[in-house]
Amino acid sequence: MITEIAPDTAPVVSGPARPGKRRRAWDEVPRWQIYLPLGSYLLFTLIPFYWILLFALRPAGSTSLVPWPVTFDHFRKVWTERSFATYFTNSVYVGVATLVLTTVVALAGGYALARFDFRLKRGFLLALLCSQFVPGALLLVPLFQIFARLQMINSLGSVIIAETVFQLPLSMILISGFIRNVPYSLEEAAWVDGCNRLTAFRIVVLPLLRPGLIAVGSFAFVHAWNHFLFALMFLSDQSKQTIPVGLNTLMSADSVDLGALAAGGIIAAVPVVIVFAFIQKWLITGFSAGAVKG
Amino acid sequence: MKSSIRRSTRRSRRAAVAVALGSVLALTATACGDNGSGSAGGKGGEGSGKGTITFWDNNGGVRTDVWKEIIADFEKANPDIKVKYVGVPAASVQSKYDTAIQGGGLPDVGGVGTAMLAEIAAQGALEPLDSRLAKSTLNGKLNEKFLDSVKSAGGDGKTYSVPTSANNGTLWYRTDLFSAAQLDPPTTWTKFYAAAGKLTDQAKNRFGYTIRGGEGSIAQALDAMYGQSGITSFWNGDKTTVDDPKNVAALEKYVGLYKKDTPSADVNNDFTKMVAQWDSGTIGMLSHNLGSYADHEKALSGKFKGIPNPTLDDGTRVQVSNPVDGLGLFKVGKNKAAAWKFIEFAASHEANSKWNESAGQVPANNEAAQDAWVQASEPTKLAAEALNGATTKIVQLPYYLPDWNTISKADNEPNFQKVLLGKTTAKEFLGTLADQLDKAQADWKAHH
Repeated sequence: MITEIAPDTAPVVSGPARPGKRRRAWDEVPRWQIYLPLGSYLLFTLIPFYWILLFALRPAGSTSLVPWPVTFDHFRKVWTERSFATYFTNSVYVGVATLVLTTVVALAGGYALARFDFRLKRGFLLALLCSQFVPGALLLVPLFQIFARLQMINSLGSVIIAETVFQLPLSMILISGFIRNVPYSLEEAAWVDGCNRLTAFRIVVLPLLRPGLIAVGSFAFVHAWNHFLFALMFLSDQSKQTIPVGLNTLMSADSVDLGALAAGGIIAAVPVVIVFAFIQKWLITGFSAGAVKG
Repeated sequence: MKSSIRRSTRRSRRAAVAVALGSVLALTATACGDNGSGSAGGKGGEGSGKGTITFWDNNGGVRTDVWKEIIADFEKANPDIKVKYVGVPAASVQSKYDTAIQGGGLPDVGGVGTAMLAEIAAQGALEPLDSRLAKSTLNGKLNEKFLDSVKSAGGDGKTYSVPTSANNGTLWYRTDLFSAAQLDPPTTWTKFYAAAGKLTDQAKNRFGYTIRGGEGSIAQALDAMYGQSGITSFWNGDKTTVDDPKNVAALEKYVGLYKKDTPSADVNNDFTKMVAQWDSGTIGMLSHNLGSYADHEKALSGKFKGIPNPTLDDGTRVQVSNPVDGLGLFKVGKNKAAAWKFIEFAASHEANSKWNESAGQVPANNEAAQDAWVQASEPTKLAAEALNGATTKIVQLPYYLPDWNTISKADNEPNFQKVLLGKTTAKEFLGTLADQLDKAQADWKAHH
């Protein structure tokens, strides 16, 4: 038995105005009390990044604390000799496919969770939450056997499916929170104007979900981009491997080329940094919107 | 009309539920069944000696190029056999093997070091190679000490891998700093401690030594401990010798270097940090193994040398066994004849020499060990002499204990850090370690 949930009558969320007295007190805080801790934290966070840049850009064997003379040899080496061009392409493929699949399926599931009541809904939600507590490593053997049966071992499809499946529970819960924030009356108005449910969803609800979708999609992309375990276990051919596995191969049992490792690390980090820089505004809006009524 | 629509909706919903349940059950049944894709319990076969075999390199990445060269040579000599190379990162190879043993997908041939041999052999995944070796062209051509290490590590005296190379503990030292301080090379422990003290100038951020306090610290501490105490066996009957008073005194002296003649950050040193620190700083000595030679060469070319671990003053060298790398034949392989040909080829004179020259390690093939490059590469030559020398006593670490990796890593690395930080004593640390080892040995004996 599936029933639709009653219309949401209090859609608009606006925070209480901050009392003037409190705002003045905040304004009176000396600037150094804000900038000193923030600056210290920033320094603490950025030093490892500087270290990576230093090793990536200075010649092998140099002990200089500034990357001068600058060399791009390490980047050339990992990109051409150590197959990072291939790993990068594979990671983009896995990341984008996981993003699309996760977002589409989570959208459908999230809509159902937000707009319908059905038997065992609470149990289903609980199961979704509980699935977050199971580490991926525990499921490696059954997943491996399933993919082996489906003849998907050594195919990027196996990694994409596994990543999507692991991303879905949280994504679905988040999306359902975002959808609940969209007034039901908007959809009803669209129906009155002649839209069916799907068209109303596409025209009215979907545009309002943009921050939420960006939040969920970027989360799925970054997780798939950085995840090491599934790619290591399900893929064998070097031509199929992804960036995290490639980075691991730069460290042998007893030797490590730090310049190459740092250059590989930068190549791995750049897309994630670009993604976050680009979507930062929507990401914060998306998470705060989901958090209010999720 | 309304009720017929409701009935049809209900029917289609039931059908959907049935399809969903059916799919789940099918997938579950699939997952539970034996797919015969190479899990440890599967049955292999000799095969035709032709076709494709899969080889897992347990140190993928850094050694990929040389393996591909060897594979190309092999395929040229055996045009009917193709080798599919899979490079597995060294840090994850144990998990990859464990997953494949349980879930399927084991290779025909795999690189297996003695440190993980017991665990894989105990799961029944590897084929004993004694009879194949006896009939092979390799018979009599492999280093006997390496073969003994492999047999000992297997746990039941059988040969589960064909040794290809051995690493060896090496004391790397800065020749420029030693010359400037007019110090002799640290060939004995006495000279080692004297140099560590003389090269340290904390005000100028100069240190005599860098100690390994993080991941991998136990094997290095044991090496230094047995090297100084002169005790030549890990076991005295069923009891370990790690907590022998001579070992306790040796460890106390070694740990005493921390912060006095080493950087204080050493408490978290794994090999990566330790090597990076030595290569880029002003530190007199570093204990690691032959594997970091290429890194030192890049950073300190012409300013360093590597020698085997120091000796006692009477010239006796005692060192702990280093992992011997080798190639294992997996039971589930369906083309073992071809797989064995590949193992024989890889351990033969030419291929073994090529691989070890690239890795800077000691060849297991006796003919390869005589090659010119070994004589020209001083650290490798000295390591080979130390490993084969009559005055070197090797303390065999109990790699055969299934709990060895847990005891020597997860259980005791944090305890060793406590010793460095003065939160516990060397005696207490070694006492705990001895209790765990004695129990593990008793458990192992009960099952063998």
